[in-house]
Amino acid sequence: MAVEMSPSAAIVDQRDLEARGLKFARAWFTGNFFTGLVGGAIFYAFGHWLGNFIASGYTVVVNSGQNEIAVYLALIFGAVGFLAGLGVFNYPIQKLLGWEPKDPPKSEKRTFWEHFTYSTDHKVVGVQYLFVTLLFFLTGGLLALAIRTELLSPTYHIWAADTYIEVVGEHGTIMMAMATSLVLGPFGNYLVPLMIGSKKMAFPRLEAVSLWLLVAAYMVIISALWQGGFQAGWTGYAPLSIQGGPGQSDYDVGFALVGIGMIIGSLNMVATIINYRAPGMKWSRMPILVWGLLTTAFTMLLSVPVFADGLFIMGLDRAVRTSMLYAGHGGSSFLWENLFWFFGHPEVYLMAMPGFAMTMELLPVFARKPVFAYKTSAAGMIGIAALSFFVWQHHLFMSGMNPDMRPLFMLTTELISIPTGFLYLVSMGTLWRAKIRFEVPMLFVLAVFWNFLWGGVTGVFNSDVPVDTLVHGSFFVLAHFHFTIMGQLVFIVLGAIYYYTPLLFGVRLNDKLGKWSFWLILLGFNGTFLPLFMVGLLGQPRRVFEYALRLQHLNQFASISSYVLGFGILLYVFNLIWSLAVWRTPAGPNPWRSEGLEWQVGYPVPADNFEEIPVVLRSPYQYGVKDRGPVAELHPSAEQAAVVAGGEE
Amino acid sequence: MRLSKGARAGIVLVSAAIAIGLILFGIFGYLRTYPPTVAATPSPTQPNTVDLTLQVEGAVGTGPHPQWVGWYAKDAAGKWVRTTIYQVPEKTYVHVTVYEYDSGGPLRNPYWGKVLGTQGGVEYLNGKPVSVLDAASGNGVAHTIDAPSLGLNIPVWGVNGNAKNFCQQGPCNPSEAHNVITFTFYSGNTTHTYRWQCFIPCGVGYLEGNGGPMAETGYMAGFFKVVA
Repeated sequence: MAVEMSPSAAIVDQRDLEARGLKFARAWFTGNFFTGLVGGAIFYAFGHWLGNFIASGYTVVVNSGQNEIAVYLALIFGAVGFLAGLGVFNYPIQKLLGWEPKDPPKSEKRTFWEHFTYSTDHKVVGVQYLFVTLLFFLTGGLLALAIRTELLSPTYHIWAADTYIEVVGEHGTIMMAMATSLVLGPFGNYLVPLMIGSKKMAFPRLEAVSLWLLVAAYMVIISALWQGGFQAGWTGYAPLSIQGGPGQSDYDVGFALVGIGMIIGSLNMVATIINYRAPGMKWSRMPILVWGLLTTAFTMLLSVPVFADGLFIMGLDRAVRTSMLYAGHGGSSFLWENLFWFFGHPEVYLMAMPGFAMTMELLPVFARKPVFAYKTSAAGMIGIAALSFFVWQHHLFMSGMNPDMRPLFMLTTELISIPTGFLYLVSMGTLWRAKIRFEVPMLFVLAVFWNFLWGGVTGVFNSDVPVDTLVHGSFFVLAHFHFTIMGQLVFIVLGAIYYYTPLLFGVRLNDKLGKWSFWLILLGFNGTFLPLFMVGLLGQPRRVFEYALRLQHLNQFASISSYVLGFGILLYVFNLIWSLAVWRTPAGPNPWRSEGLEWQVGYPVPADNFEEIPVVLRSPYQYGVKDRGPVAELHPSAEQAAVVAGGEE
Repeated sequence: MRLSKGARAGIVLVSAAIAIGLILFGIFGYLRTYPPTVAATPSPTQPNTVDLTLQVEGAVGTGPHPQWVGWYAKDAAGKWVRTTIYQVPEKTYVHVTVYEYDSGGPLRNPYWGKVLGTQGGVEYLNGKPVSVLDAASGNGVAHTIDAPSLGLNIPVWGVNGNAKNFCQQGPCNPSEAHNVITFTFYSGNTTHTYRWQCFIPCGVGYLEGNGGPMAETGYMAGFFKVVA
C-alpha cells in the first residue's frame, strides 16, 4: 500500500547514471516568486504584441477599441511565463533532453525565503497555500466591506454603479476561487501525508504547480479591477459575459487557472490517498478529514473539467466571435448555465464537505470521545459527493428551463439534505455527554453547528420551486449561502488554523486574543447575515447598488455588523501574524493531546515526515477507550510491517 | 540569522503599512475615481430654474477609451468637460440643452421614443415640440437619457451619419452636423443621487451594441446629483 520514498531509493550516483547512458543535469536557475513575476511580465508583453499583430485590423477591434485576442494571449502567455520564471519547467525539459535533474535537498527547518520558491516539499506547499488562501480571503473580505459600505445608504453612493458591480463580481469570484482550496490546499497538502503515514504526496511537482497556478490566478482576477471588472459577476452568465470588457477575460483566464490547479491538486490528492497509505491504514481507520478530502477531490475531478470547457467556450465567443453561448447567433446561453452549474453546484459541496470533515476531525479531540458513527459520516460524504451531480438545475428554476424537469431537481436537492444530515447528526452524537474542552478551536467548531443550522434549514426551503420563485436572486438566497459557506467553511478553517498552528509552526496563538476574535467574528457574522434574510424576503435584489428607502435600517444594521466581523477577523490575523513573527510562544509537541498520527511526529516535522513508514495500529479517535495503546508504531520492524501490510493485525 | 523581537515587529508593521498603502491607493487612486461633476448654472432668464448644457458624440476623442461613444457637459466657465455626472439643486426646474452629434437608427422597442417626465410631456427638437419620436423614419434615435427614479425618458434624435460635416471626435463644434434638443424637468423635493443611463444599445463593436460604454460612468451612464 505505502510507497517507500527514502533518498536511497532515488538515483544518486553518477556511475549508476552513466551505466544507464544518462547524466546529471547541470543546475539551471533556481526560480522564485520574483523571477516568476519577471517571466510573467516578459511573456505577457509578448502575448499582447502577438495578439495585436494578429488581430488589430479586425473591424470589431477597430470599432470597439478592444482587442480580446491580445488580452487572452497576454494573460495565457503571462501565466506560462510566470511558471517558467518560477522554474516549473526546468525538470520536465531536462527530462525531455535525457538529463537527470537533481532535486534540491529537503531540510527539517524551513526558511522564510523557501516559501517564495517552487518547493516540492508538501509541508512548504501547505504553508504557502495557507497564506495564499488567506490573501484571497482577506482581499475578498475587504471587497465585502466595500459592498456593505455602499449599502449603508440607498441614496448616497460611495461607488459608481459600474464600480459597485465590479466589486461584487470580484468579491464573489475571489471567494469562490479561494474557498475551493481553503481546506484542500493548506491542510490537505500539509496534513494528508502525515495523517496516512506517507513521506510525501504522490506528485510533488503537480502539488507545487497547483499552488502557483492559484497565485497566478489571483493576480489575473484582481487585475480585472483595473480593466473595468466583470459585470457578469462570479457566475459569468451569457450574453452579459460575452459583451463585457477586458476584465471579463481576466475572469475567464483567472478562473481557468484556478480550475486547472483544482484538477491537478485533486488528482494528486486522490493518487496519494489511494496509494500512499501506511500499512495498517485501512479505509476504516482513515481520518475523517482524509475521507472528506478524498470525496472532495473525486468530485472536483469530475466537475471542474466541465467548467473548464465552459470557460474555453466563453473565451472563443469573446475572442474570435464564435457564438456558442449567444442565442442571437444560434448559440445558447443555457449551455453556459448548464456547464457552469454542473461545476458550480458540486462546488458548493466541494466547500461544505472538507469543512464538515475538518469539523468532525477537531470535534473528538475537544469532546474527548470517539467519533460517533464513523462509518455513517464517511457514507454521508460519499452520498453528498454522488448526489451533488444531480442537483445543478435547481439554479435554473427561474431561467426558463423545461418546467417538467423542476420536480426532479427539487427532489434530488431535497434528498441531499439526508447525507448532509448524517454529518450533522453524527457530530451531535459525538457531542452527546462529552466532556467538552472549550478551547478556541472548539468554539469555532461549535459555531459551525449554529451557523450551518440556519444555512441548512433555509437551503431545504430554497430547493422548493415555489419558494425559489419567491426568493430567487434576492438577499435571502445570499444570506443562505453565506451561512452555509462562510458560517461553516470559514469558521472551521479559522478554528483549524488555530488548532494546527503548533504543528505547522511550533507556536501557539494567544488564547485571549483568540477568544476575543472568535466572539467578534461570531456576533459580527450573525449580525450581518441574519437581517439579510429579512431584507431578502422584503424584496431587496442582489447585485444592485440601490434599494428601497424602507430597508435602510436593516441594511445599516447589517453593514455595521460587518465592520464588527471585519474587526474580529483583523484581530484574528493580527494574533496569527504577531504570534508567528514576534511573540513565538512554543506550543510543545502535542498541545491538544490529539491521538492523530500527524501529531505523533512532533515539531519540527522531520524532513521526510517519518524515519520509516509507520505501521498504523488503530483508529485515531479512540479517546477515552481504556488500554488503547499507541495509534501507530513509528519504528516498526520489517516483519511487523509485512504482517500488517498483508492484512492481519 | 535570527532577528530580534523588535526587528521582527518592525518588519511586520512596515509590511502592514505597505499593504494598507496599496489598498488605499487602489480605492482612492482607482475605484473611487469618478469623472468630474458639472453643476448646472442658474438661468439668467427664468426664476427657480437652472441650465445644463450637454453634447453627445459617437467618439469622445479623449480619455482611456477615445473611440467610445459618450457625453460632454459645459461647466460654469463655458468649457466642455467629458462627464456624465451633473449636479442640480432640489426643488428646481432643470432646463437641459443637448447638442446631438451622433447618428441614430430605429429603436428595438418603439416605446423608448416617447418623451416622459418633462414639463408638458414634450421635448423641443430643433425648436419644435415633440412628445414621441418615430425612430423608424429619418435618421432615427441616437441615444436616450433615462433616469427611472425621476420618471425621465428623453429620446435624442440622430443626425445623418453620411453627412459631410459629421463629427468624428469630441468635443464637437456647432459647424458640424447636429440637432439641438431641449427639455425641462423638476429635480424633486429631496436630495438624492439619481442614476441615469442611455437605454439604446450604442456600444459599437460590442455584441448587439451592449457592453463597453453602455454601463460605464462617464460614457453612457451617470448621475443626477440633487443637492440642497
